Amino acid sequence: MRRAFALVYGPLLGVTAVVTGAALALIFLVAPEERVMGAVQKLFYIHVPLAFVTFLAVFVLLVGALGYLGTRRPVWDRLARATSEVGWLFCTLVLVTGPIWARPAWGVWWTWEAKLTTTLVLWLLLAGILLARGYATTPEQGARVGAVLGVIAALDVPIIYKAVDWWRGQHPIVFGPGKSDPLAPGMRAAFLVAMLAVTLVFALLVVLRMRLAALEDAIVAAEDAAWRSSS
Amino acid sequence: MRAASAIAAKDLRIEGRTLRTAAATGLFALVVLVVFAFAFDLDTVRRLGAPRVVPGVIWITLAFSALVGFTRSYELERQRDAIAALAIAPIDRGAVFAGKCAANLAMLLTLAAVLLPLTLVFFDAGREGAALPLVAVTVLHTVGLAELGTLFGAVASRLARGEALLAVLLLPAATPLFLSAVQCTRGVLEGAPLSDNARWMLVTAGCDVLYFLVALLVFESVLEEG
Repeated sequence: MRRAFALVYGPLLGVTAVVTGAALALIFLVAPEERVMGAVQKLFYIHVPLAFVTFLAVFVLLVGALGYLGTRRPVWDRLARATSEVGWLFCTLVLVTGPIWARPAWGVWWTWEAKLTTTLVLWLLLAGILLARGYATTPEQGARVGAVLGVIAALDVPIIYKAVDWWRGQHPIVFGPGKSDPLAPGMRAAFLVAMLAVTLVFALLVVLRMRLAALEDAIVAAEDAAWRSSS
Repeated sequence: MRAASAIAAKDLRIEGRTLRTAAATGLFALVVLVVFAFAFDLDTVRRLGAPRVVPGVIWITLAFSALVGFTRSYELERQRDAIAALAIAPIDRGAVFAGKCAANLAMLLTLAAVLLPLTLVFFDAGREGAALPLVAVTVLHTVGLAELGTLFGAVASRLARGEALLAVLLLPAATPLFLSAVQCTRGVLEGAPLSDNARWMLVTAGCDVLYFLVALLVFESVLEEG
């Protein structure tokens, strides 16, 4: 585990730093200013990748949770733990950046539209997982509870999205079948690089969090051993 | 199957003799209903149209009272650590889940049988021929609620002081059920045929099956000691 971390962390940090720098330069120096919305449209380059990565995190959480329930190997739990925490952080950022853009663009801070509602419910689900893990008395119990709740949350998200979508809709669909590409070339480059940058930041945080989780587990194990040998 | 029905029968027999859960959840439901009656007085409800307000009142009341019931359901097992006995019993963990779930479903349906007529009377929302479709809608949605409640109730009961968590875990996860339940109930109260909401009913039936299968798979991990 430690060797894998040492192998991955350095290069990942370097690549992330370069790509993030490039993304910021493209967003603020190269991409043209949008005619109607103006500077606030720059948020699009951050907000959309954040949202994408939040849902990617839920998918990885499902993989980690199923892996842990199937094999009971701690590394899967560390993956689930890391993705639920980092995913919650990204989800929070989506919910913060969204309204800042929505206020000038739509005239309201918030609407109960499918993507917004689903993201909010997802935020609650992830917060519930973190809270439940905090209530656990042993690491194994926390891992099991986190995995069970993670599976339910991940399976629920698409259903919630579809249900709220039938209920009502308003979110702009920028990409989708039957839509001509709305982005000017400079915008598209900035968007794609920003997408890569945010994904890399996510990967970096997950790797760091998994390493931290491994250290946490080692401390608990060492404490247990010390307690057992002293009594 | 036999183990599941034995567990359900045990829970229901205890409940039949003590009526503790029924008293707690029933009274709680009544209190919530009265609070709603203060919040939305009859004039407001009539102006908006009962079908727009009453489904929400019904399902919020049912969900909140169900939370009280789900917590109680595992308190039975916590006394003298009966849950450990259940966990080591030589039966499938799925059977334990199915049994607890059936007992919880019976509790919810009994509650709904009292709550629904009462709400319709309080808010003047009843209409001819609504009874049967309303029963169908209620049964379909309480099944999913009972499944999630049984699973999350078990999770919460395993955690120290976990009862406080149950609402936080259960209500967001049950979002699709609530959306569908309110939609279908509104349709019935407006006098639309059930087939108008066939899409919602189908999704809910799908959720009922999905939650049951997932719960069967993960319930063993929930019951585990330590």
